[in-house]
Formats: sequence, C-alpha cells, structure tokens
Amino acid sequence: MNQVGGTKAKRKPPSARRKAALGGNDHSVTAEITLLLNTLRELAAIRSTAEDAAARILDSAEGLLALADKEEAEKAEEAILAIMTACGFHDLVGQRVTKITETLDCVIASRLTGEKPARTKTSAKIGGEITLDGPSHDSTAQDQARIDALFREKN
Amino acid sequence: MALDPSMPVLVVDDYKTMIRIIRNLLKQLGFVNVDEASDGTAALNMMREKDYGLVISDWNMEPMTGYELLREVRADDHLSRTPFIMVTAESKTDNVIAAKKAGVNNYIVKPFNAATLKSKIDAIFGEPS
Repeated sequence: MNQVGGTKAKRKPPSARRKAALGGNDHSVTAEITLLLNTLRELAAIRSTAEDAAARILDSAEGLLALADKEEAEKAEEAILAIMTACGFHDLVGQRVTKITETLDCVIASRLTGEKPARTKTSAKIGGEITLDGPSHDSTAQDQARIDALFREKN
Repeated sequence: MALDPSMPVLVVDDYKTMIRIIRNLLKQLGFVNVDEASDGTAALNMMREKDYGLVISDWNMEPMTGYELLREVRADDHLSRTPFIMVTAESKTDNVIAAKKAGVNNYIVKPFNAATLKSKIDAIFGEPS
C-alpha cells in the first residue's frame, strides 16, 4: 500500500536531509543569511524610530509642563507626567528588540558554523544562578503587586 | 530616615529616555539635585566622589549591572546605608528575591507610573503616600 504523501523511495538519505536542513548549498545559506541580516537592519530601524519618537514626545511634554495653566496646573501636570512615563515604551521596545537581535545573531552563527545555537548574549552574560529575561509577558500591575507582596514578607 | 528633597539623587540607566523620564518625575516630586550614570561602574565612581541620599537604578546594563552595583554598594562601609531602588523590566520572582537578599530597599517593575515611584520613595523614607 502506498504511503500517504509519497513513497519511502522518494525520501532523501539522512546526510542529504541534514544538508538540506543546513541550507542545502552555499547559495541558499547565503540567501537565508541575507534575509536574516535584512531583518536585523529592520530591527535596528525600529529601535531608532522608537527612540526618536520618545525624544520628540518628551520634548513636547516638557514644553507643555512649562506652559501649564496655573488654575488647571494639577490636572495638566498629571496628564503630562502620564505622557512622559508612557515614553518608557522606548526602553521596553529596545529590550525586546535586543532579545530578538541576539537570537537572530545566534541563528546566523549557527547556520554559518553548523553548530547548535549558543545562548543569547543577554541570557549568558550574567553567569551564576541569575539570568535576565527582559520584559515579561504578564501584566505589569500583577507583576508589581506580586513584587510588593514579596517585599512585605520578612526575609 | 527623613525625606529631604534637596538631597542628591543618582539615576542609573543605559537608556537616556528612562533617565529623562525619571529625572522629570523626580523634579515634579521636588528633587532638584539629580545626577545620572549610564551603568554600574560609572555610578559607583560617582558614589565614591559624592554622597547620594538615594540611588534609583536599572538592572540590565553593561559592563556593570544594577545588581552588581547594589552588591558593591552594600559591601562598601561608606556607601552601604545608601537607599537603593531597583527600576527594571526584570520581574522574575527569583531575581526579585536575589535583589532583596542583596539589600535593595524597593523594587519597581517597568513600565511604571509617577504614583508608583512616589510611593516607593515615600516607603523608604517613612513618609505617608
């Protein structure tokens, strides 16, 4: 009975499959690496754009703060501080982009050497028992409440 | 420990945007004497030159992290009592516990708001929030 999806005879030998997995030939590896390098360039552009945007928003917020009407100063100040703290997105975007960039660097190095991908720079650099993961995927409010509870505990 | 808004505060972060945000928040809270450093090594050098009443530091920086800075500060007889707040995106429980064991006074997870920063500073200096 024929197997669904083809016959065993058409399967490539293990060495050929490994070669295919590694890119098949120099040309396809070069093409893949070019794609990855282009992705890294895009990520660098995202980081730069985020930094520019945050700086321009902060410029405006600082200007507004200086101009805030005295009667509504408290409300204006609150709103402006909220704008300013929201600019922290630049830091978090930057950290996430760095994680992706380091991961792609590891993939590129692995494709070039044929070796298992190494740990990313961020996760490896601390050493010992502490590793840094960057921004979490949980809600910040929940994170802060959990941390506050840890700090309320004695030792 | 009394809260004195004229005391020097050191903000340590490798992102200029974050330094600018924290500096503005501190200014609105009345702190006018704010210095900045872009990593732990620079911060430690500054702390050995000037007495700071409060350090607000990120964790993930190079070459010296905020955690390493904290440990250096707590191991230094002259600096060991300096109030230290960690402001970081790192929220993993193990890391928070490690920072607490290393002697951090309070811990803020990014992104944060002005009220959170104020409440953590007030908590250190015994002020009602």
